[in-house]
Amino acid sequence: MRLQYIIGKLIEIAFIFFIILTMLFFLFRLSPGDPISKVVDPMLTPEDMAHMISQMGLDKPMWEQYLIYVKNFFTGSFGVSFHYGEPVSQIIKERLGWTIILFTTSTVMAALAGVFLGKVAAWNKGSRLDNFLSIFALVCYTLFIPWFALLLLWAMGFKLGIFPLGGVLTPELWVGDTSPLVKILDLLHHMILPLMTLFIINLGSYLLLMRSSMLSVLREDYIITARAKGLCEKDIRDKHAAKNAALPVITSVGLSLAFSINGGALTEQIFTWPGIGRELIFAVSNNDYPLAQACFLLIALVVLVANLIVDLLYAWLDPRITY
Amino acid sequence: MRPDTPLMIPRPSQRLKRTAESNLRFILSAVIFLFATVLFLSCQKAEKDLFLKIGLPEEPRSLNLWLGTDANSRKILSLIYQPLYNRHPETLEIIPWLAAAAPEFDKENLTYTVKLKDAKWSDGSKFTSEDVLFTKQLFFDFKIPRYYSKWKIISKIEALDPHTVVFHLKKPSAIFMSRVLTAPIVSKKEWEAVAKDAQTKEKPLRSLQDHSVETPLGTGPFMLTEYKKGAFIHMKKNPHFFGTGQTMGGHVLGPHVDDILFRVYGTSDVAILALKKGDIDYYWWDIQPGYIHDLKEQDNVDLYFNKKSALYYMGFNMRRAPFNDIALRRAIATVVDKDFILTRILQNFGTPMHSIIPSGNHFWHNPDVKKYGHGLSKVQRIKAAVKILTDAGYSWKTPPLNETGEQVKPSDILLPGGKKMDKFVILTPPADYDPKRAFAGTMIQEWLRELGLPAFSRPMAFNSLLDTVKEKHEFDAFVLGYGKLNLDPDYLRSFFYSKNDKPRGWNMSGYTNPEFDRIADIQMSLTDTGERKKLILKMQEILLADLPYLPLYNPHIIEATLNTRFRGWVAKVDGIGNIWSLCAVRPVE
Repeated sequence: MRLQYIIGKLIEIAFIFFIILTMLFFLFRLSPGDPISKVVDPMLTPEDMAHMISQMGLDKPMWEQYLIYVKNFFTGSFGVSFHYGEPVSQIIKERLGWTIILFTTSTVMAALAGVFLGKVAAWNKGSRLDNFLSIFALVCYTLFIPWFALLLLWAMGFKLGIFPLGGVLTPELWVGDTSPLVKILDLLHHMILPLMTLFIINLGSYLLLMRSSMLSVLREDYIITARAKGLCEKDIRDKHAAKNAALPVITSVGLSLAFSINGGALTEQIFTWPGIGRELIFAVSNNDYPLAQACFLLIALVVLVANLIVDLLYAWLDPRITY
Repeated sequence: MRPDTPLMIPRPSQRLKRTAESNLRFILSAVIFLFATVLFLSCQKAEKDLFLKIGLPEEPRSLNLWLGTDANSRKILSLIYQPLYNRHPETLEIIPWLAAAAPEFDKENLTYTVKLKDAKWSDGSKFTSEDVLFTKQLFFDFKIPRYYSKWKIISKIEALDPHTVVFHLKKPSAIFMSRVLTAPIVSKKEWEAVAKDAQTKEKPLRSLQDHSVETPLGTGPFMLTEYKKGAFIHMKKNPHFFGTGQTMGGHVLGPHVDDILFRVYGTSDVAILALKKGDIDYYWWDIQPGYIHDLKEQDNVDLYFNKKSALYYMGFNMRRAPFNDIALRRAIATVVDKDFILTRILQNFGTPMHSIIPSGNHFWHNPDVKKYGHGLSKVQRIKAAVKILTDAGYSWKTPPLNETGEQVKPSDILLPGGKKMDKFVILTPPADYDPKRAFAGTMIQEWLRELGLPAFSRPMAFNSLLDTVKEKHEFDAFVLGYGKLNLDPDYLRSFFYSKNDKPRGWNMSGYTNPEFDRIADIQMSLTDTGERKKLILKMQEILLADLPYLPLYNPHIIEATLNTRFRGWVAKVDGIGNIWSLCAVRPVE
């Protein structure tokens, strides 16, 4: 792999990123309304509103606002949220952690389980196990997230009462003198239902992807060669077939991880998970420009970097690919 | 082996089986660990359950009083920062709160002298007239939205002693008590340094609003102890609360609970489950009628139905044809079936509105305004509307009623000049934002089509809708609402005063009536409530005669509490979620 390729890719990423940066600015400014247009409060006079707009710096010409925005970006400042009054970087830092914990964990777990089960299904093609796994994967894939999440909450949180009804912790435990171990267990306890929901939803697609990829790999000549060499079945399956079959899954995981930054707003909403997906929806619907811009920039950056990493991983996993 | 043999895949080997067994053991261990954790945590929860637990629909945006103006921030901040005067929960009269007595009004010098209670801030420091003076200065220095516009009527404010404040007014003001003296008072100790620093910044107000408030200092019944963002807010009883043990507003004030825990539920479905399960004692939000049947069957849940100080209405663009014609507006008001809206859209949980001021605000509400189409059958309403339109010169090739008085499909209506009326649009919020308003818009469209009017109801994103109606004024008609109107009727002036017909102004219909403006100006300067009431009633009459807005409905606020742990919620207009409830509620013995 040539260093030149990586440098070229990085320049390309920087260029695309700057275009996104500019597009985001104008898209938000050109959309109807402003950060206070949604406020329906007769106590706010037009003079109050004009004062608020001027204090947000939105009374300046758009080109001037754009220059400030670009300058702020290059000095590492994403500004202050209009509605929270906190630096956007701080809001993202607080929320991103929760999103990563939940969505990255569920994506990775679902991908690992999907690769394993897809491999088993393909290896046992046509068997009862394969039929069962395929149907199971299809059901998982087509589940409607809000319905499934509410069903889980109702059954396991309300009826059985073994899991909490959303949130990330039990306030009663955290306000008292509770040991750190109990607090950690409490966090894990709250994580199980949303994790289970996302795991099951994601599992279907990874399982089906891996199964189909594995089936096509098993037809390749190098599998015959491996058998001809007398390798044991496990090695053929795991080292020769599965490793190559997993390439499309890795691409999918890479992109899913990137898009998991914006989380699943619906899942976060139902489980009251304080992730960044809900913030993104809030910021867009309330024209909180600094927060919305920063969230989208983050997603753009992660998608671009994830693509680069997937490209590099391909070259590492598949010797036929060189750059 | 032939090239096509790889498809004949052998069964898993013994080694593979061993791997599967090992995986199974791991999964079993994980499941056992999980159940042990669940059991352990269930026991932990049972030990501590002395909190009043309240569910919120969203997290408060900010605990900075000057920025946190959203409904959920207000819920928390209203328990901390207190005004000099408050509204009696039942009579809605303005009664002393941080003030010791009603203000002494000197008509000649235009001064209000207010005696303060011997109150303390939650840190134990004394609340004095200096704090009132400082609050006023803050409003003026930063032109704080919502407050400055009302307080600027004050020409001077002075402290006679630590417990006496004198407000000098520029001119008599009807809203001085209801809008100035009910503003929250902040501590000089908490805000002085912050304000001084903010004054040096390029954007002083923004700097003040962006100040992070960790432990707000208030005089209210509760104080903030801990705020874990994304998780919960913990408030403790303020040991220095001035109202403790006193009877105010007809209630012996506590607080009778030591701790409140607020937590957020992302959807009403989950919050209702939490209430039924006993995870929360009260869900501080308006419950949709669809949940009522289920909740009524729960022995551990009490339901509360209260009137709202709200207004949901249809507005017309009076700046241009065809809605600059009063006959057309009156005809529309006649065919709109408010009883249908009440029974089918509100499911009987609300009241049809006939005046702009809701009936829940009983002191100012005018029950005698003109009620268009009230008590008429559908055919009678159409007949009355047809008469209004025919008298004004409108016509049809096929009228909505035939010669025998039966309803028929009409042809398109023709304007007084004989020209066909252009299609017009009724803008509504989208159904996912407010299904009631969206559905009301659709029904109005159908009723108007029965009259031959080419009406089209169009849901529009709320941001765009307000931008179109309030800023650009590029619309025909719209259905909007105010969910929480102030109890002082001064908003009539905001909504319909001709000078407020400007971009971002609240006169969205573009209503202009010099007589209305004159009365609105007079009532603003009346300090005699009885005299003012007469004018407010008159203003409502004028508005219902001119119809810049057609009032439609006022939904009830429906709330639910758990009845097994706490009791004593105080119901008032706008529900049981209020400071009176939280001062009066006590554990069930």
